[in-house]
Amino acid sequence: MRIGVFICHCGSNIAATVDCAKAAEIAKSFPDVVYAADTMYTCAEPGQAAIEAAIHEHKLDGVVVASCSPRMHEATFRRTVERAGLNRYMFEMANIREHVSWIGKDKEANTNKTAELVKMAVAKLRNNSPLTAKTFDVTKKVLVIGGGVAGIQAALDCAEGGVPVILVERESTIGGKMAKLDKTFPTVDCSACILGPKMVDVAQHPNITLYAYSEVEEVSGYVGNFSVKIRRRASYVDWEKCTGCGACSEKCPSKKTPDAFNEFTGLTTAINIPFPQAIPKKAVINAAHCRQLTKGKCGVCAKTCPTGAIDYAMQDAFVTEEVGCIVAATGYELMDWTVYQEYGGGVWPDVITSLQYERLLSASGPTGGHIVRPSDGREPQTIVFIQCVGSRDKSIGRPYCSGFCCMYTAKQTILTKDHLPWSRSYVFYMDIRAPGKMYDEFTRRAVEEYGVEYIRGRVSAIYPDGQGRYVVMGADTLLGEQVEIKADMVVLAVGIEAARGAPGLAEKLRISYDAYGFYMESHVKLKPVETNTAGVFLAGVCQGAKDIPASVAQGSAAAAKVLALFARDKLENDPQTAQVDIRRCVGCGKCIRCCPFGAIKDSEIRGENKAQVIETVCQGCGLCTATCPQGAIQLAHATDNQILAEVNALCR
Amino acid sequence: MPVMQGKELRIVGFLCNWCSYGGADTAGVARAEQPTDLRIIRVPCSGRVDPLFIVKALLNGADGVLVSGCHPRDCHYSAGNFYARRRLEVLKRFLPVIGIDDARFEYTWVSAAEGQRWQQVVTSFTERVHALGAAPRIEDAKPFLKVADMALKPLRTLGTGKNAPLEKLKEAIKAKLPELECVIGWQKGYDDIHTTPLFMKSAEEVDKLVWGPLNVVNTANYLSQFKGKKVGIVVKGCDSRSVVELLQENLISREAVTIFAMPCEGTLDVARVNEKLGRYTIVNAADSDGAGLLVTVDGKKHSLAMEELAQGKCRCCTHPSAVLTDVLVGDAPQAPAAAPTPPELALLDSMGLEERRGFWRGQMERCLRCYACRNACPMCVCRDHCVSDARDPHWMTQEADVVQKLFFQTIHALHLAGRCTGCGECQRACPVGIPILALRQQTARAVEELFGGYKPGFDPAAVPPLLGYEVEEQNIRETRI
Repeated sequence: MRIGVFICHCGSNIAATVDCAKAAEIAKSFPDVVYAADTMYTCAEPGQAAIEAAIHEHKLDGVVVASCSPRMHEATFRRTVERAGLNRYMFEMANIREHVSWIGKDKEANTNKTAELVKMAVAKLRNNSPLTAKTFDVTKKVLVIGGGVAGIQAALDCAEGGVPVILVERESTIGGKMAKLDKTFPTVDCSACILGPKMVDVAQHPNITLYAYSEVEEVSGYVGNFSVKIRRRASYVDWEKCTGCGACSEKCPSKKTPDAFNEFTGLTTAINIPFPQAIPKKAVINAAHCRQLTKGKCGVCAKTCPTGAIDYAMQDAFVTEEVGCIVAATGYELMDWTVYQEYGGGVWPDVITSLQYERLLSASGPTGGHIVRPSDGREPQTIVFIQCVGSRDKSIGRPYCSGFCCMYTAKQTILTKDHLPWSRSYVFYMDIRAPGKMYDEFTRRAVEEYGVEYIRGRVSAIYPDGQGRYVVMGADTLLGEQVEIKADMVVLAVGIEAARGAPGLAEKLRISYDAYGFYMESHVKLKPVETNTAGVFLAGVCQGAKDIPASVAQGSAAAAKVLALFARDKLENDPQTAQVDIRRCVGCGKCIRCCPFGAIKDSEIRGENKAQVIETVCQGCGLCTATCPQGAIQLAHATDNQILAEVNALCR
Repeated sequence: MPVMQGKELRIVGFLCNWCSYGGADTAGVARAEQPTDLRIIRVPCSGRVDPLFIVKALLNGADGVLVSGCHPRDCHYSAGNFYARRRLEVLKRFLPVIGIDDARFEYTWVSAAEGQRWQQVVTSFTERVHALGAAPRIEDAKPFLKVADMALKPLRTLGTGKNAPLEKLKEAIKAKLPELECVIGWQKGYDDIHTTPLFMKSAEEVDKLVWGPLNVVNTANYLSQFKGKKVGIVVKGCDSRSVVELLQENLISREAVTIFAMPCEGTLDVARVNEKLGRYTIVNAADSDGAGLLVTVDGKKHSLAMEELAQGKCRCCTHPSAVLTDVLVGDAPQAPAAAPTPPELALLDSMGLEERRGFWRGQMERCLRCYACRNACPMCVCRDHCVSDARDPHWMTQEADVVQKLFFQTIHALHLAGRCTGCGECQRACPVGIPILALRQQTARAVEELFGGYKPGFDPAAVPPLLGYEVEEQNIRETRI
């Protein structure tokens, strides 16, 4: 091999504490090094030109640059050597700025260390081989999982960009949590009025195929070529025929079915359409409460339905879709707040969640938008709101902030005053977190214009006073005294957690999730919608607590990522993937068992089991290489021999 | 390139590209001053770090090795650091057995944002290594040869299998033989006190089958070469655990193998029998009295009592009967539930680090590098593709020096971590009698202690500990820096 070494001064960044000329001189003694020089700014145009010239002049077939971190300029120099006709992987970098010149002042030690780092890079380079990316076709179709506002936005933006969209929603209607809200902060505009049109757009867009009441069953494949099996749950109603007239629901005799859409604040019928603006507006039978399905006799809806859509024998059905990208927008759930015994643990009927309160406020809710106590239907005079119920509470293992509760509590107090002008509202809070646009002004309005009483402190107990009201005992930490409020109703701002089943879906998608089930983005700051699995993107609260504007923005951002990926007809893989030496492989499957991406499969070659790497799925972690005892699977560009060469350069 | 005399020590770092390498960059950008000893090797993931890289460095002059990856749950590749944590923890517990101070190796987690933490990690680890001083080289240790005391009391009464229902076993084999390619067992060897493997294909060959304390060979060793064919195998308790491991590793299929088992009463330590008998030309007679063999060699009578001359593993045996069988002949004996520290390992335990270095230096000078240990190991499934004599990957040179030889033993022991059933064939096969089983026993002990008492060779469906992980490890205490 003919290797050229370039030691960068980086102005005085390196040269101030490293004798670059001496290091270059030492480098000349390393095996295969035929050229070594020190340059002022290697990454600048003249520096790169010098590398190119040296490659031609000295017929170099490998280059080492000792300069800044490879995380900074590896890509730059790879392009440089490529311009001069070398393969981009015939290049190595020694980090003598972040790891040498900037962290020590001893010039002698630094120069020695520089020479050693160059020696390691040369040793590795001598084991490098040219690598080329492979190209593959892309299925320009996207799967969006979750039809809340984030998923809707992602689906609409992708569809507008000309990409066919498969939207899968677990419930029988899209809309998610936002569809349950009455009004939204900080503008106090009606949630249904701003979300409704978007939901209709989803239904009407020619590029969107909506699978409601469906779940993702299996995902296989890789970026550009995923295959997704979708379970369409049995609704017992043929949606091709159902017109959403609601006649079935009117006649259904099972009128005591718990109403999940209304957060169990009211009752509904066994066959129903969750709310008037549902998309798709189709009826679903709740099998657990349907008399026909539980007791085998009734059949009223089947007799009533004008189109004959009822099908009691319906089974779950499966469809398989081929897509190129996946957007996960699975949203959130409220945590189970009944662990708080001090708040009654779910026993007191008038201690409700904020989302239940939202349904009471809503004109389409069980009370038609009248705030009444669930226990006796009377209008409450005094309402206490408690914040951070299951947020920022290490004692129950939920240290994170749920993000939007401060704001919706302010909104709910304002709406309460609008609905019941004579009522009094108290808010127990820890800190008011209102960092968004117009947010702080909004919370101030609640206090200053609506006279809501904010008390900084926690509630220690809620108990009935025996006369139909509740005593709320708490501390006012600003005044440093105990507070006792007689309330007619208590609303808990319950913290959020990842949607039910979120970790299971993450396993199918092969993306990471944190201790609370929220999906991990690729980089907290710089890659907030990407995951570490290429082609899988995140939108909305599934990635972490965020409010509607942020969810919508992330939905659009995910769509932008999808559209950018689909702007190309072919994708290139990163050639730093694992490669199997089939002569050495004994087919024991240890690599298959621990590959985090399912990128290795068992294949039969001439009657013998051998590992086979799916290059487009392999992400290049090298876990398999460290696992295989016979070294039969090697991660390209980080092979055993390459790393051993570096070790040997240091330890003899 | 030598380290800077009197100034620096040789410290090698393996840093994952995504978190810790970035953390080291962040420290640099913040001009966080650090000792200059560390040389960083960038790897994609801490999961890429084969523990053998670390041993390679430590045996060849590194004074310290530091591995750093993403914090648990933050791995760029989801789970690489979870695997790394298990493997590196096993390594940490292995190093002292070959005389390397485990304080010279550390692994930790540093994120790309934690420049300050990185500075602190490098500083404190470098200080720690400087406090330990330059690492003593194994080849410079004063040879220290000591022999393990094998005469510990067996956990149960050992015998010679004199009354074992061998004829019944033969009948059972004959009954199944038509369905099978062959059945692996033992036959009389070149004299009455040796046996060799037997591959039974006919009823006549079945009649050659022998049973007793001379059946030392682990029959499972031959099993994987019959992959794809239907075979039978006669096993002792220990052999059966190797069969289970082969099943677990998908190297044989359960349907293709018929396991014949008879409870074992113990086997003899052939090396010590040979020692007792001395050089001899002919075995005149051999018989058993139930408690040992009575042999006459060159006209001289010897009593080979099981109590005295059984293999170390038989004294500690908790599973004389096969753990997985198709045909069981004879009654399963009562066996103790827990075993004491095996004698080979107990010997090492009794030494200090310096003595261990001397011990292994002395032992490795006797090693012929014949690879009999590898060839006798039923779990050495790489066969012709062992990394010890490969160029790609080129883990070892062919020099016959102490470091290369001990490194080979380490490769073998670490490749067996979580897989070695302690059958002891490596040690039995060693022509110069090096107690190399101790190294495997140490990895097995580490695995057992770390991973909920896991013992290889009992459950074909179990996930081997080093091929799995727990997000919260019960027995691993993290971040010592």
